[in-house]
Amino acid sequence: MVTGDSRLSVIVVAPLVGALASFVIGRQAPRLAGAIASLAVAVSLAVTVALFQALSVTGEFSATLSSWISAGQFALPLDLLFDKLSAVMCLVVTGVGLLIHLYSVGYMADDPGRVRFFAYLNLFIFSMLVLVLGRSLPVIFIGWEGVGLCSYLLIGFWFTNTEFARAGRKAFVMNRIGDLGFLVAMAVLYTACGTLDIVELRKAEVLERLPADLGFLAGLALFFAATGKSAQIPLFTWLPDAMAGPTPVSALIHAATMVTAGVYLMGRMSGVVELDPLVPAIVLWVALATAIVAATTALAQNDIKKVLAYSTVSQLGFMFLAVGVGAYGVAIFHVVTHAFFKACLFLSAGSVIHGCHHEQDMRRMGGLWRMMPLTCAAYGVATLAIAGIWPFAGYFSKHGILAAISGSHNPFLFEYVSLIGVLATAVAVCTALYMARSFILTFLGSYRGEGRPHEAPAIMTLPVLVLAVLSIVGGAYLDGSLVEYLQGPLPALSGHEHESQGVVGHLLGSLPGMLGAGAALVLFLYMTGVKDLLRKVGWPLEKLFAGRYFVDEVLDSAVVRPIDGLSQVAYRSLDRGILEGSGSGIGVVSRAVGELSRRMTSGQVATYLLAMLVAVSVLFVIFVQVR
Amino acid sequence: MASMVGYLGLSLLLFVIGAIGVCIRRNAIVVFMCIEMMLNAVNLSFVTFSKLNGNLDGQIAVFFVMVIAAAEAAVGLAIILAVFRSVASVETSDAAELKW
Amino acid sequence: MTFMGFVLALCAVASGIGVIGFRNPLYSAFSLVANLMTMAGLYALLDAHFLAVSQIVVYAGAIMVLVLFVLMLLNLKVEGGPKLGVVRATIALGAGVLILMTAVQPIFRHFEGMSAINLRENAARTVGDVASIGEQLFGRYLVQFELSSLVLLIGIVGAVMLAKRKSATLAPRDGYQGAKEV
Repeated sequence: MVTGDSRLSVIVVAPLVGALASFVIGRQAPRLAGAIASLAVAVSLAVTVALFQALSVTGEFSATLSSWISAGQFALPLDLLFDKLSAVMCLVVTGVGLLIHLYSVGYMADDPGRVRFFAYLNLFIFSMLVLVLGRSLPVIFIGWEGVGLCSYLLIGFWFTNTEFARAGRKAFVMNRIGDLGFLVAMAVLYTACGTLDIVELRKAEVLERLPADLGFLAGLALFFAATGKSAQIPLFTWLPDAMAGPTPVSALIHAATMVTAGVYLMGRMSGVVELDPLVPAIVLWVALATAIVAATTALAQNDIKKVLAYSTVSQLGFMFLAVGVGAYGVAIFHVVTHAFFKACLFLSAGSVIHGCHHEQDMRRMGGLWRMMPLTCAAYGVATLAIAGIWPFAGYFSKHGILAAISGSHNPFLFEYVSLIGVLATAVAVCTALYMARSFILTFLGSYRGEGRPHEAPAIMTLPVLVLAVLSIVGGAYLDGSLVEYLQGPLPALSGHEHESQGVVGHLLGSLPGMLGAGAALVLFLYMTGVKDLLRKVGWPLEKLFAGRYFVDEVLDSAVVRPIDGLSQVAYRSLDRGILEGSGSGIGVVSRAVGELSRRMTSGQVATYLLAMLVAVSVLFVIFVQVR
Repeated sequence: MASMVGYLGLSLLLFVIGAIGVCIRRNAIVVFMCIEMMLNAVNLSFVTFSKLNGNLDGQIAVFFVMVIAAAEAAVGLAIILAVFRSVASVETSDAAELKW
Repeated sequence: MTFMGFVLALCAVASGIGVIGFRNPLYSAFSLVANLMTMAGLYALLDAHFLAVSQIVVYAGAIMVLVLFVLMLLNLKVEGGPKLGVVRATIALGAGVLILMTAVQPIFRHFEGMSAINLRENAARTVGDVASIGEQLFGRYLVQFELSSLVLLIGIVGAVMLAKRKSATLAPRDGYQGAKEV
């Protein structure tokens, strides 16, 4: 059944088996569920590493899991491709995934549903791997849908709470709306180019078959799908609500992996995206707007997880910013570093929440550096990374993006390069500001809550520390080399060469981050009076930020209400009215006819005779007259 | 001959009268008698046609009709008696056990 | 149709209406006897002598006597209760009229083709006296004749079986005033 390199299929199949195994075995022995799930991911990781090392020797690996559809001339086998880009993504998914699995063993230790949790988590890893390893768009779509499903299952994990369940549903529905874009793009590409293979769809002779307007449509549709999955305007409000799920879920799905699927798709389909230069321009502006909106909203949040959620949306905006200027390699670079520090941030936040007995409001935290030193250190390191301060990881990828903006050749963006650069830098400052604020409120100062918080157990702190280390060194290690490495699958389109800068250059580049962090220290720690003053002056802004730009409300009244009204009408008139009416109408008519015919068999002989006479006379008339 | 028309017309008339009687009367025995009347009307028709066609087939038919009518009378009245025993009535509406 | 025939026809129709009209079933039975007698007369007019006599002997003499026996035996009251309904009567009448009106025309048309000479010849040949009937019965229709005797036998057996006395109790209903056991 499996052809090609069977090791490749192990990567994908291991977590699937793990999901089943942990579910089945976990029924009997709940303690083993976490171990089995983690083991499955570890297996995937091991094989990934092995294949990754073999890549430099062999080139790329292919495998076919099974011939899914084979109808005459149309065939859709479940093909997998392991090239450099897939390797990087797989390493991130399985590596960070394994750390989060281990963390979850500790975090979910007291939860009665943990067997289900680990099964879903493994299922998610499986779907994500199918997504990044898929060789044709339909296979990617399977993974795409799968992660959407697992996201729904995991966000609404504690489904007995209606709010949480609703958040899960919201995520799923918004994802689904984005999927429409995916389907449209697939339809267009298949009709015009005759193929859905991602390797084929990079070749010039294949892409030439697309007429100009269809090329624009396909690219835009792909981006629309990405906005759903990667939480850009207009389909981003599900991400903050998704914090209803357990913190490991937020870390894995909504920081490190699923939300980056959109960026990955853009990268793979860069051939299609770049066909009409208007598409990347649209991508850039939408991404920039998203980044600004999300960053400013994060400033006004008091729930620590919500801050991180909006931060994710904003950072995703950065990634799409890179996509918009054609720097796909840099975008993936930021994906990787973001996975490190965001997962670290989320897991640390999880430790904090766990230690403060499920308290999530930062106003009731503070001074935790004394009680949770390790977590504090990890969070601090990751904050420096996300703020883009040298030599931490985030600096290199962010700097790469900012630098790439200037090198854009896009005719639509040419004049605005400086404006974009300024705005992007402003977002960076803002990012540093709100992240530092969250750090200060949570860990510094004095404890404002009740009870006694405690440090997390080792099984939780260890993965966090690993991620923290990666946040420190990961950027420097990968700077430049990653983008070079990905040259094959993702040729850099902006003519920006990577220059290595001196220390001064690095410090200059860290300026926005340091500015933001410094401002946070001033406002929130030392001179809180200034903060109160600013608050009084800028209260309309605060209202806007705290109200999250009222996007949800707008979407609700503009989209949800009309559709709901329409469906109510359809329900009453079509479903209840016509369908049920005709259905039970048949019954009513039958019964009426039956009532009528019932009277004919009355048992009265005289009636029978009369009927006979009438019938005979009629027949008589017919036969006589007809002749 | 045109005079034969009268016999045929009479036969038809008697047949229809008998048919109406069958439908109208409730007493089973009276219904039976109406049936006999219908048979007689048909017999008349047979005889008339026998005269018209020039052979005796019609009259032979009448002969056999009489035989059968006799047998039918015997059996039919026996049935009426049997029903009468269980229902104690000869009215057709009383023998109906179907709930309508 | 001769004058005698016309008179007999009138009597036949009158007694026919009497059969269906009288409330008292005994009167209906007597009307039927009258009807059968007039029919016998009509047969005689049509030269079917054998049939005329056997009509009186078999029909009026045997069958009607049987009917009268049964009527007397059951000793019924006059048909009580509401009549069967005007609606029913109208429908029945309508159907009957329909048949009448439809059949009239073909009857008239049938005779247009036949020449008068033929008819007279045919009329002369068909004299239904005993000898000629007998010739047919024992000649051409011998098998049917034998079978009819079988039918009579079956009828006898059936009638006896059906009318045999079973010791059952009677549920009294409207109209029954006679003996408890039949």
